Amino acid sequence: MKKIVVSNLTKHFVLTDKSRLEVIGGLSFEMEEGEFLSILGPSGCGKSTLLSILAGIEAASDGEILVSGKPLTAGDNGVRLGFVFQQPRLLNWRTIRDNIKLPLEHGTQSEEEQLNTAQRYLELVRLKGFENYFPLQLSGGMQQRAAIARALAIEPEVLLMDEPFSSLDELTARKMRAELIRLWRETGKTVIFVTHDIFEAVYLSQKLLVVTERPARVYDRTDVNVGYPRDYDDDRLFETAKKVSRPFLKMEANDAA
Amino acid sequence: MPTTLRTYSILVLFAAWVALSFVFSPQVLPGPVPVFEAIWENMASGEGFYHLYKTIFRVLLGLFIAMVVGSVFGVLMGLSLKAEKFLESWVMVGLTIPAVVYAIITLLWFGLNDSAAIIAIGVTAFPAVAINMWQGVKDIDMQVITMAKAFQMPRADIIRKVVLPQTVPYVLAATRYALGISWKIATTVELIGMSSGVGYMLNYWFGLFSMTQVLAWTLTFTIFLLGVEFLFINPFEKRATAWRAAVQV
Repeated sequence: MKKIVVSNLTKHFVLTDKSRLEVIGGLSFEMEEGEFLSILGPSGCGKSTLLSILAGIEAASDGEILVSGKPLTAGDNGVRLGFVFQQPRLLNWRTIRDNIKLPLEHGTQSEEEQLNTAQRYLELVRLKGFENYFPLQLSGGMQQRAAIARALAIEPEVLLMDEPFSSLDELTARKMRAELIRLWRETGKTVIFVTHDIFEAVYLSQKLLVVTERPARVYDRTDVNVGYPRDYDDDRLFETAKKVSRPFLKMEANDAA
Repeated sequence: MPTTLRTYSILVLFAAWVALSFVFSPQVLPGPVPVFEAIWENMASGEGFYHLYKTIFRVLLGLFIAMVVGSVFGVLMGLSLKAEKFLESWVMVGLTIPAVVYAIITLLWFGLNDSAAIIAIGVTAFPAVAINMWQGVKDIDMQVITMAKAFQMPRADIIRKVVLPQTVPYVLAATRYALGISWKIATTVELIGMSSGVGYMLNYWFGLFSMTQVLAWTLTFTIFLLGVEFLFINPFEKRATAWRAAVQV
């Protein structure tokens, strides 16, 4: 069975002047369990809205999403999803450990189990020794690691990532990408990674979905047939990136015309 | 160390008082010794505690009203644009009218009793609370709320763990302002129309031209307020904002 099936998903917002803003215009894709999929699209194309719908924060206007065969509805749907945002979005008044523990606190684990789980994921993202630090005492990269640990700690069926490295400097972002691949291979999670960075998408994922400018539609699908761990200087990655860039640029050119 | 700096600052103030008391005659500015003697005598006779208690009672009840009404106003104004437009002018009017006018009006309406004082305090102090809470609600970070929703946190948990901690600094600021305002208006009401309380005693000793007693009573309540600040508000603030202190290296 497919892990995720999204068919004909649409989303529009009704603005205050009653006009409709089409954000997603019929999007379909499928994912196997444990796959790493990147959704690549220009800024402001509705990628974040797509993730919000998948996370149950917003409702879709039309279309269907199946997770492990069960339809996904807005609100509490029993599907555990880990979310990593562009910004770390940690609670500044909680220590790193307590931030990772936060989403566990309304679960079934005892206080002690929660602390153990938080500790385990804290160590997994290599933040051991920083348990009792407050977020603002750490660098942006470390804060984002804590955010990833928080998302993994709930042991999600699917990990949703919304441009998580775009506010980091390139060197830190590279380290974090390698780290993410390590975590993904260790945990075997299904990952949906949204980005506007072509090479980032190619470097990370097995499957690529290029979506159009708003309203978002699938423009192109590509598989990246390169084994892990990948090397940043691998020519095959550059070739794929070039191949993906072409439709991307054509799309932008069409848009300008 | 901030604590030693604070001690120095109080010592400097004290030294300035002593120095000035040598320059002026005791009728104009008595030194600390006669003033503290007067405080001691007031308290020893029991009369001091009675008037201090009356003022504290009025201040605390008035402060309570101001905090409740001000918080309701502030939260509504922060949450809804309509409420903001509707209530903003009330708060501004409340803020603009001199406190002494509230004192006169409540005394005329409710007579020369405690409720007049308490209501005057509540009305005078609530705009300061409303403005702080309004700002506090507006400054709530929506991004972390979205985060909490994405992790399917229950609504009650979101309010308790994500929203309320963000408002702590504003609640503290509101309490501080309101406490300062409350005590000022309390003495004014007592001075105009009461027969008990610190304000009444100030008026009494003003009639007898006793600078020593005027200072003694002022100091009595100031010490009480500083006690509240350093025994309750300050330690609570330190605990609630430890994360911020930890960041300032």
